[in-house]
Amino acid sequence: MQADVAVIGSGPAGLVAAIEAYRSGAKNVLLLEREEELGGILKQCIHNGFGLEQFKKDYTGPEYAERLIEDLGKTGVRCFLNTMVTGISADRTVTAVNSENGVFRIEAKSIVLAMGCRERARGSIGIPGTRPAGVLTAGTAQRLVNIEGYLPGKEVVILGSGDIGLIMARRLTLEGAQVKGVYEIMNYPGGLKRNIVQCLNDFDIPLYLSHTVTEIQGRERVEGVIVSKVDKKMQPIGGSEKFIQCDTLLLSVGLIPENELSKGAGVELSRTTNGPVTSETMETSVPGIFSCGNVSTVFDLVDYVAQTGMSAGRNAARFAIGDWKENGVSVEVIPGENVRVVFPQRYCFRDDLILYIRPAKPVERPVTLGVSPVEMHIKRLYARPNEMIRVKVAREKLVKVTGPIEVSIRER
Amino acid sequence: MDIEKKHFTCVTCPVGCEVDVEVQDGSILSITGNKCDKVKEFVLQELKEPMRVLTTTVRIEGAKWAMLPVRTDKPIPKRLFLQAIEELASIDLQAPVPISEVILRDIAGSGANIVATRTMNPRGETGLPR
Repeated sequence: MQADVAVIGSGPAGLVAAIEAYRSGAKNVLLLEREEELGGILKQCIHNGFGLEQFKKDYTGPEYAERLIEDLGKTGVRCFLNTMVTGISADRTVTAVNSENGVFRIEAKSIVLAMGCRERARGSIGIPGTRPAGVLTAGTAQRLVNIEGYLPGKEVVILGSGDIGLIMARRLTLEGAQVKGVYEIMNYPGGLKRNIVQCLNDFDIPLYLSHTVTEIQGRERVEGVIVSKVDKKMQPIGGSEKFIQCDTLLLSVGLIPENELSKGAGVELSRTTNGPVTSETMETSVPGIFSCGNVSTVFDLVDYVAQTGMSAGRNAARFAIGDWKENGVSVEVIPGENVRVVFPQRYCFRDDLILYIRPAKPVERPVTLGVSPVEMHIKRLYARPNEMIRVKVAREKLVKVTGPIEVSIRER
Repeated sequence: MDIEKKHFTCVTCPVGCEVDVEVQDGSILSITGNKCDKVKEFVLQELKEPMRVLTTTVRIEGAKWAMLPVRTDKPIPKRLFLQAIEELASIDLQAPVPISEVILRDIAGSGANIVATRTMNPRGETGLPR
């Protein structure tokens, strides 16, 4: 099978990338999805707050997905559902399998990676104790409640204050469960402020900062957890242990970009984002392979995911139809003072540079975000790790840059 | 009436100002901690009647999935949430349901309608765009 552009994954990034690739002139665009429906994780995110920027509407996840699927239906993009991609190679051959075609290969002129991310689970944070039923990730609970119609427990403790954990605290409360508290190991919340207010405060669910779960108890089923305060080095403080009775522990302890396929093609991964090292065009280290959305780096807002999808789709189409010449020149984009993540990691002088910046620590005072060497100084009222900052640097400002571009956040 | 001291996090914009408010007889005597004036409108509404959009699910028969996601078509008083959830628990629904279809009118006497937030095809139909 031949394709101009093959897009892997049909969550928000993949949907937008496929639509944009088609609109940008690639006529043979394939969208590959392992589930039986398009939309990815949006289908289970039934809360609102999606597309505020992109569509100026306050959609729920499924509404946002359906809006994109409607746009997709107006293109000639061909969708393969129930289709698992098992490998991609640096020469842009995609190997996939489904029950209709069996194992098949697609020779694509360009590829867009849009596989999203996975949740960190119990194994990756190492909580001591027994291994009973009732320990699950917040996203698994979200699928059980919102799609399959099961309530995973009646008395719930949530570890981690990521957005999905906060959303599920409200959701489980509405469905009749008692959420006993959200415990966060950091001294600041992981999720967006609006979620702290509307998911916890609205329902009088307590949030305990600088706390973690240090033991899970129960044989067949969770019977309770031990929570402890942690010190500045995030180590549990002896003597602070408290038993909380519960039948369910939800984990909302971070997301990891899903890059098994990327590795197979030899795509270089970044140690700070765990996603492909990409340029402002969303091209990875392998020519013709682009990546976008949460497979690149974990974003907070679907609007940002969609923006990277648009860029990846447009450039993958350009590459496929031959409107692309290697200019070979690129500079690094690197995190400076108080910056944990900056995305993308390279600039190759093609498009404007849209930077996505995650601060390393919270600063609740006025800060200046600096981009050197272009002398950009942006004033902001605060910087928080749970709110990614987006900054656009116009191409004209960057043409004379020869060394690395460094982003820093300093108190004013 | 006594002066009451209350704390709010304004969610009008992402800044999320933490404000301390002194209230007497439902009117604001003072606000501290805010970075702009929009907080006043937010606090007044919170004092009078906190309003939120409710998003939840209802059971559906004959579809691929057990649950249909729904929402109120406008914000409703937060205190009506549990009553609304209870009203929705007894609904009988059969696929197919198109997106935006009204599932229940005037939920919990709020004047808002409950609408479907996705198209739910009958079991066996694919989710491909038509």
